[in-house]
Amino acid sequence: MTAYKLLLLLLLAAPAAAYDRSELAEFNDLYKSGRYEEALEGYRGVIAQAPANPRAYYNAGNALFRLNRPGPAVWNYAKAFTLDPRSSDIRANLDFALRQTGQRLVPETVPAALHYVYYLLSDGEARAAAILLFWLACLAWAAAFLLDGSPAGRAAGRTGAAAAAALLLTLAWLGARSATSPFSQAGVVTRQGGARMLSGPGDTFKTYASAPEGRLVRILDAGDDAYYEIGLQQEGIKGWALKSEIDRL
Amino acid sequence: MKKFSLPLAAVLLALALRADAALSVTAETDRNTVPIDGNLYLTVTVSGDSSSVPEPKLPNMQNFNVYDSGRSQSISIINGRITTSVSFTYILSPRFIGLQRIPAISVFNGKEKAVAPEIQINVTKAGGQQPAPAAAQPAQRPARRQSARPAAGQAQQPGAEQIFIKAEPDRRSAYPGEQINISVKFYTSVPLSSNPQYVPPSFKNLIAEDLPPVRNGETEINGVRYAYSEIKAALFALSPGPAEIKPLTVIAQIPSNEPVDPFDPNFFQNLMAMSGAQGKSKEFTTETITLDIKPLPAGAPADFNGAVGAYSVTASADRSEARTGEAVNFSVTITGNGNLKAVTAPKLPDLPDFKVFDTMSSLDVRKDGDVISGKKTFTYVLVPRAEGRRSIPSIKFSFFDPKTGAYKETRTDPVVLLVEKGAEGGKNVYFNPAATQGPVTASGSDIRYVAELAAAPALPRLAARVNRLPLWVHLPPAGLLLLAFWLARFNRFKSANPLLFRFRRARSEAFRDIEEAEDLIKAGKTNEAVSVLYDSFMDYLSDKCGEKVSALTMRKAADLIRQRFPAAGERAFEEIRELWAALELRHFSPEVSGAEGTSDLAKKYSLLIELLEKELRA
Repeated sequence: MTAYKLLLLLLLAAPAAAYDRSELAEFNDLYKSGRYEEALEGYRGVIAQAPANPRAYYNAGNALFRLNRPGPAVWNYAKAFTLDPRSSDIRANLDFALRQTGQRLVPETVPAALHYVYYLLSDGEARAAAILLFWLACLAWAAAFLLDGSPAGRAAGRTGAAAAAALLLTLAWLGARSATSPFSQAGVVTRQGGARMLSGPGDTFKTYASAPEGRLVRILDAGDDAYYEIGLQQEGIKGWALKSEIDRL
Repeated sequence: MKKFSLPLAAVLLALALRADAALSVTAETDRNTVPIDGNLYLTVTVSGDSSSVPEPKLPNMQNFNVYDSGRSQSISIINGRITTSVSFTYILSPRFIGLQRIPAISVFNGKEKAVAPEIQINVTKAGGQQPAPAAAQPAQRPARRQSARPAAGQAQQPGAEQIFIKAEPDRRSAYPGEQINISVKFYTSVPLSSNPQYVPPSFKNLIAEDLPPVRNGETEINGVRYAYSEIKAALFALSPGPAEIKPLTVIAQIPSNEPVDPFDPNFFQNLMAMSGAQGKSKEFTTETITLDIKPLPAGAPADFNGAVGAYSVTASADRSEARTGEAVNFSVTITGNGNLKAVTAPKLPDLPDFKVFDTMSSLDVRKDGDVISGKKTFTYVLVPRAEGRRSIPSIKFSFFDPKTGAYKETRTDPVVLLVEKGAEGGKNVYFNPAATQGPVTASGSDIRYVAELAAAPALPRLAARVNRLPLWVHLPPAGLLLLAFWLARFNRFKSANPLLFRFRRARSEAFRDIEEAEDLIKAGKTNEAVSVLYDSFMDYLSDKCGEKVSALTMRKAADLIRQRFPAAGERAFEEIRELWAALELRHFSPEVSGAEGTSDLAKKYSLLIELLEKELRA
């Protein structure tokens, strides 16, 4: 009887596995044969269905890179990185694409291992971890109060304290990353030829700098209808660029 | 010796590097001097140690018109080492007289880059005359340009175009893969400063192959003598539906006949233009030509892979005898007319007696008589598994013949191999053993390949699900925590203040006892009911006073109550004493406790409690 149940489970799981293999494979075949435009369309379809799928963004980035569009390629790689920062493929291609545009994933002054730890969890994963730690702390402390005075209650109290400490650390980590990460409150210059940086939000203002295609920029203000106020951290300059020329991460 | 050591080391190093280089390219021309009205062949040979080598990317050559003339490929597999050599032939037609340069030609296979040095070509006037410096003999024109001049005695017809271009396909309707030839004729009735530059068109739903060389000639149209140059190209449609030949352009340098203004800042330039060394550049463009591509008829054989043309197929092995475990190169060659580039490898039948390794293809394309023809060879490496007389069955190849409008099938003859037992049985075959030697060195970098698995990794997927939960879902644990906290506080307070809780609970417990006593009275158990009431009354007073009252006399108990509750009235004490006495009497003398009297006691006790609740306040 158990064998039949297992077989039934396998049969139920098989279509899901087949779907998993075939969904990107179809577009990967197009990519393999050099039909990058068509492959890109397919990857975009997958992204539309599953906006949290880092592999679809990664593959779209590859197709765009092959189409010699470094800006959108960097945007897709960066998006994939923000969803799954531990993937070595995503890190490698993001770094490669950034280097093509004079940037680096790991700053020269930061050890690679530290950078890896800093981005061990994506923002989404860190938020989910914070939520789970909140649950754990609440439940453990509730158990500790209910079992007040007993050894089990004391153990639950220690667990709750540890979870609360981890929660605070996670929130601090998220806050620090939000303030310092180049992928937080960021955008990528996706216009071919780069984006003009104006001294104010409008054509009447003077152009005093340009950000090349593929450049990661900090979005300082998104309040204007047509312009972002952006900052280039390396150069320490800021200006206004058309929203149509910058894709927000 | 010492002074020779450095150059010697350099030579040795150069030799070592040369020996290590797997990719190489050479470029050569069939001659170094060519008249302006002639053509020369440029052959670029790319060699490498893999089954495919990159096609050379010709540099931009403004001084020549370049036409692809075909390719020839040879592939050899010796002891598992693959060597490929492809010769790409181009026809170059010069545009200017003088020393012209074919820039260095490079190939890049993603890892290595090889460069063929530049070649210098001396372009002379037509008829083999040596060109003179333009400044010295400005009036001299190359023969090609002379041929473009209207014949002597021909008067220019008024209204006739001096220069025009015509592009005509040999057919307007074809099947996908069927050859369509397009002829582009450039007519001129005036001499040109140089040979015109041909800018090929772009295509929709078509691929093109040049059909060189350029044909030159003279013709008369409407009484006007024209010199013409004809360029042909073969086109192959990709799929049924409309196809388009977009406008193509010819750029010609027309000598300027305008007088030269000596005060013009470009005086010297204009003078040179007048002298024929430089002319006015003018573009001539054709219209878009639309073709109708018919779908292939139904009834294609199962093994039909889209080959269109007229083909034959042969098969051969590089030896007739082999040993088990030894590699045998088995080649299937498809020869004929058609777009051989699009021909794919025929499917091998099941070969249980052989291990089949990678397929390599080589392509030779000829363009004789304006027909794309040649051969494509697919080489399979077969390793016999078992000894004996082993046969490779005939291989079927299907194609569509556009001339007859029918599908045709051709077959190879079976190939027989005599297999003897190998020394080490079926040993493994390794290709490119040289590649496995030495340490691995990175020779280039590129982005990593696309991800194969569609689903997001588990952790990001789980995180996304958790983050999608609505906010209210996270309130219960916080509520539970607050509730548990309050309960713990309450329990601790209760443990720390037992008398207070007994004081507060005394009334409810007394009433519970009264109900119990009433039940006993109804059951006829008056003695037990009296006992319950007596004990309950003692407990009630004890709970209120915080001391055990039953051990005290009635007077001491009254003193204790008065001490604890100084505000209690005398009526309350009287009622207490009265009930106490009545209960003691019935409790210790059960024979006097009738059912009616006991019930009255219960009611009295009930009223007394209500009174004491008001009087005995902390």
